[in-house]
Amino acid sequence: MTTPTAPTTATVAPPRARFAKAYAAHLRSESRLLSREGAALVFGAVLPLAAIVVMSAIPAAREPLADFGGLPVVRTYQPTILLFATSVLGLTVMPAILGGYRQAGILRRLRTTPASPATLLAALFTVVAAVGLLVGALIVAIPALAGAGLPTHLGWFALAGLLSLLAFLALGTVLAAVVGSPQVAAGLGNVVAALMWFSAGLWLPRQLFPDWLVTLTDLVPGGAAAQAMLDATVGVQPSWQPFVVLAAWTVAGALVAVRTFRWE
Amino acid sequence: MALITVSGLTKSYGSRQVLHGIDLNVDEGEILGVLGPNGSGKTTAVECIGGLRDRDGGSVSVAGMDPATDPLALREMLGMQLQQCRLPNKMRVAEALDLYSAFYADPRPAGELLERFGLSAHAHQPFGKLSGGQQQRLSIALALIGRPRIAFLDELTTGLDPAARREIWEYLRLLRDDGVTMLLVTHFMEEAAYLCDRVAILEGGRIVASGTPDAIATATGGQETSFAADDAIDPDTLRRLPGVASVDLDRGRVVVRGDADSPQAVLAALASNGVTARQLRVTAPSLDDAYLSLTASAPTSTTQEGSLR
Repeated sequence: MTTPTAPTTATVAPPRARFAKAYAAHLRSESRLLSREGAALVFGAVLPLAAIVVMSAIPAAREPLADFGGLPVVRTYQPTILLFATSVLGLTVMPAILGGYRQAGILRRLRTTPASPATLLAALFTVVAAVGLLVGALIVAIPALAGAGLPTHLGWFALAGLLSLLAFLALGTVLAAVVGSPQVAAGLGNVVAALMWFSAGLWLPRQLFPDWLVTLTDLVPGGAAAQAMLDATVGVQPSWQPFVVLAAWTVAGALVAVRTFRWE
Repeated sequence: MALITVSGLTKSYGSRQVLHGIDLNVDEGEILGVLGPNGSGKTTAVECIGGLRDRDGGSVSVAGMDPATDPLALREMLGMQLQQCRLPNKMRVAEALDLYSAFYADPRPAGELLERFGLSAHAHQPFGKLSGGQQQRLSIALALIGRPRIAFLDELTTGLDPAARREIWEYLRLLRDDGVTMLLVTHFMEEAAYLCDRVAILEGGRIVASGTPDAIATATGGQETSFAADDAIDPDTLRRLPGVASVDLDRGRVVVRGDADSPQAVLAALASNGVTARQLRVTAPSLDDAYLSLTASAPTSTTQEGSLR
């Protein structure tokens, strides 16, 4: 090793260039690590994609049915499958990874370097969100390629899907912030995700909900996103309400997460 | 010239005061050992000096910078190896070096560190599959990747087997030869005696002794002279000698403890009584003894503190 030299302030890169370099390195590293976490991706990506591929492969599921308002079965399931994927990624994968990093002292260790641990968080968000976007795009594209058509209002459908991903990521980060153990945080994330699936009508179609339950579930991200996506699917112009609900959960979640998250 | 100057450093967690005014100086190129029992405030002190925790009072200057006001410039020249910090289990050794090199303006080449720390053969192994010693070596390598002038190493050999510990010590000696100034937190006396130019012993948030390991050992610990028991010498004769503190019979040996001059006095007494000291052994005072006697007063001092409040 050569004699250690002290970097003078002149050689220190400006903060933005420094952040970009560290962020790019974290991005590479987090992508690699996530690709090695098979279990995390099975529920968040593989399972929803398998479901959409299987349904798209069944000819009867691609044919328009009068019972479903003239829509193919596979398209009525698109919102549910998409919400399943985004909720698992945001509410269980995110808190498990983030909580694990904190528990192992990885964030604490980063505090000793010129790069802030916030850079790792930004990269982790980017990677998980990118997986969510890719899975969402495939959930929309695969039935279309199989001949079942695109959601009627594709733009509104995509916006609702994107906002659900952001809301779940924010809520998953809140879980990681307020629950110390990553296992417990991910477990709670599963419970919250199950409530989201219920709100979205996974077990009982929303059409069968009593009015009070509709009003209530319209206020949670799962119900709001499902309603907006169902409207977009059947060709009804979605109202502004579900988008406001999703945006409000995202902003509130992000604020709470930033205020409560601790590096160690 | 002192590269690190700390004076009157205080820190409390809630109502519990952890540091009661720490004064330290570390010269350029020196290894300072910070010793002390668990809970004595070692880690808190290092974290305050390294700028990971805000101090309550006192002043800290590291290479002319105050960690409280100039954290970013400090991060660039200070490498820290912290206790209980791991890497993701599936991150490989070369990937970790690659990642950390992106944080610094002028990082050391990964290949150089891999070779230096004996990790070349493990470059493609995931962190979780490395042995404890390899994980620690990687951790030190990461602390040094930014060419720091100063390195803080917190209990880096805790939990390692003696061979792995020796290995790490050799690396640290090489580093010192490179001119890296080090602050080494440890609770192994042997480690401190082997590596440190000076040590500071922390007890209850105060520095109770500081100096070279030898000076501390001599000032506090005693000389021990022992030889095979012989009926021709009366223990009481030895007890009356100047500088002798105690004479005991232990497993067929006479053990005399006393100050630095006591071995001479004992040998002279044996000679004048016509006794040949067989299996004679004179042991130097150890840092261990000094440490134990300095930190044994702990309960008393805390009680005094308690009654003052």
